[in-house]
Amino acid sequence: MNWPAESRPCPLRAPRLPLPLPLASDTVAAGFPSPADDYIDVGIDLNEVLIRHPSSTFFLRVSGDSMTGAGIHHGDLLVVDRSLEARPGQIVVAVLDGAFTLKQLVRHQGRLRLEAANSAYPALELHQCGDVQIWGVAIHVIHPLGRHG
Amino acid sequence: MAEALALIDANNFYASCEQALDPALLGKPVVVLSNNDGCVVSRSSEARQLGIGMGKPYFQIAEQLERHGVVVRSSNYALYGDMSQRLMSSLEPFVSELEVYSIDEAFVRLPRTGHGDLSDWASELRSRIRHNLGLPIAIGLASSKVLAKLANHTAKGDHRHAGVFDLTRYSNHDPWLERTPVEEVWGVGRRLSRWCHMRGIRNALQLRDMASGELKAKAGVVGLRLQLELQGVSCLPLDDSPSAKQETCVSRSFSRAVCSEQELREAVASYVSRAAEKLRRQRQRAGRLTVFARTSPFSAGFYSQAASSTLTLASNDTAVLLQAALRLVPRIYRPHKRFAKAGVLLQELQPENQLQWHLLSQLSSEDLQRREALMQSIDRLNHRYGRGTVQWAACGLQPAWMMRREQLSHAATTRLSDLPLVWAKG
Repeated sequence: MNWPAESRPCPLRAPRLPLPLPLASDTVAAGFPSPADDYIDVGIDLNEVLIRHPSSTFFLRVSGDSMTGAGIHHGDLLVVDRSLEARPGQIVVAVLDGAFTLKQLVRHQGRLRLEAANSAYPALELHQCGDVQIWGVAIHVIHPLGRHG
Repeated sequence: MAEALALIDANNFYASCEQALDPALLGKPVVVLSNNDGCVVSRSSEARQLGIGMGKPYFQIAEQLERHGVVVRSSNYALYGDMSQRLMSSLEPFVSELEVYSIDEAFVRLPRTGHGDLSDWASELRSRIRHNLGLPIAIGLASSKVLAKLANHTAKGDHRHAGVFDLTRYSNHDPWLERTPVEEVWGVGRRLSRWCHMRGIRNALQLRDMASGELKAKAGVVGLRLQLELQGVSCLPLDDSPSAKQETCVSRSFSRAVCSEQELREAVASYVSRAAEKLRRQRQRAGRLTVFARTSPFSAGFYSQAASSTLTLASNDTAVLLQAALRLVPRIYRPHKRFAKAGVLLQELQPENQLQWHLLSQLSSEDLQRREALMQSIDRLNHRYGRGTVQWAACGLQPAWMMRREQLSHAATTRLSDLPLVWAKG
């Protein structure tokens, strides 16, 4: 009943039902039990693969091409864990001028700085910009491979 | 030392959630409005410092807010509900028992750490929650729930405590209790507080030390427990197993008065469809349903009416519940009444897997399964593409009475289409 302002009309596709996929089932009531029944597993849950700390993990949508060198493209889904301490070498979400910005945290000549993965963009020295906050550490990127489905 | 309990709650929870997911709001004054954008229900610390009052009607202070550059948000329950779950499950590993008391507070029992300092434990937990969720919390430590609640108040009210107040460090609580007005004690309602004041009991210390016989005569065993708790004797247990819900209610105020029966039907239909969805999520069915509506209590000729019916077969099927509810609408509707609020209450809830078969039911079990599959598909579509994507025609299209939420932020943590953007542009 609530029509949120941001719910633009979007093409209706057949819903992709959530994982997990059952590998075997026990609905066969008659005849011999399936030999596979002892090996029933609950299926594969991608959440388990992608998320280690569910309560501190957030999803963000990437906009722009400054991180393509790190394999992160425009429109990708980014999995961010806020509970991790950012270490040099990691891709981090920083708060810069009131917006989320994606960068790589790098140690350069003994100092920490934020770099784009695209040489067209200059690095940001952390000690020179006072109010940069590291919001979280990007742990996975979900990138569709071309048109499919 | 007695076992320690704590009351942990988030400061300015709604405003803090807004700031946690929107970097443009960090360090900015933010207020969140109640349903229908009525009045201020949460203020960020920056907004408090500007002197923005709690509970102030929005239309009265809209100009003041704009002058100070205060960001105004409508209540975004999808976001607050999700952040609440994150908060509770983040606390859980650090405590030995947890009782979720409200959307933003929990009573916890501390783990037995031997000789560790409780204040250190609390400060560390506080900075961890701040770091992991972006939420500021306050922690009050004491040996009983009533004292923990008061300690939390002190932790939050006095910035020298930096969000943590540990009462167990003090052997003499008297000066502190003496500074606490009796009406601030958890469990002292308006009536009991009036009674206390009539007897000259103005603060928590006086309440603790008054003759218990007198208190028992007035408030019964509840009063005695309150007194024991104030003495630091824990007698209110932690309720860590919330029993399955017995009732589910959906009710809303209208953005403007509703006068026609058709509009009232649409509103009731919307609330039923929402309540049915809640019920399916809780895996329950309802055996009984009540609809109610009222006019504004502040205008002349106040009118309020409710009507109930019992279902042949307990259900969580929107169509079944709608049919029952819409049949009741003529019984609560009165012409020339200006309705301000309506709602639906689903009662006699039972677990989905315990269906009492009824001899008179015309539905075969196959029919029931087909209906269940339909409900599931609708819930999935609405979850994926936003509430209202698939809707019953009875709910009306773009109804004019719908709650105003003009400054609603995104469902940033629960909906794919609403995720915050992270820039890779510089």
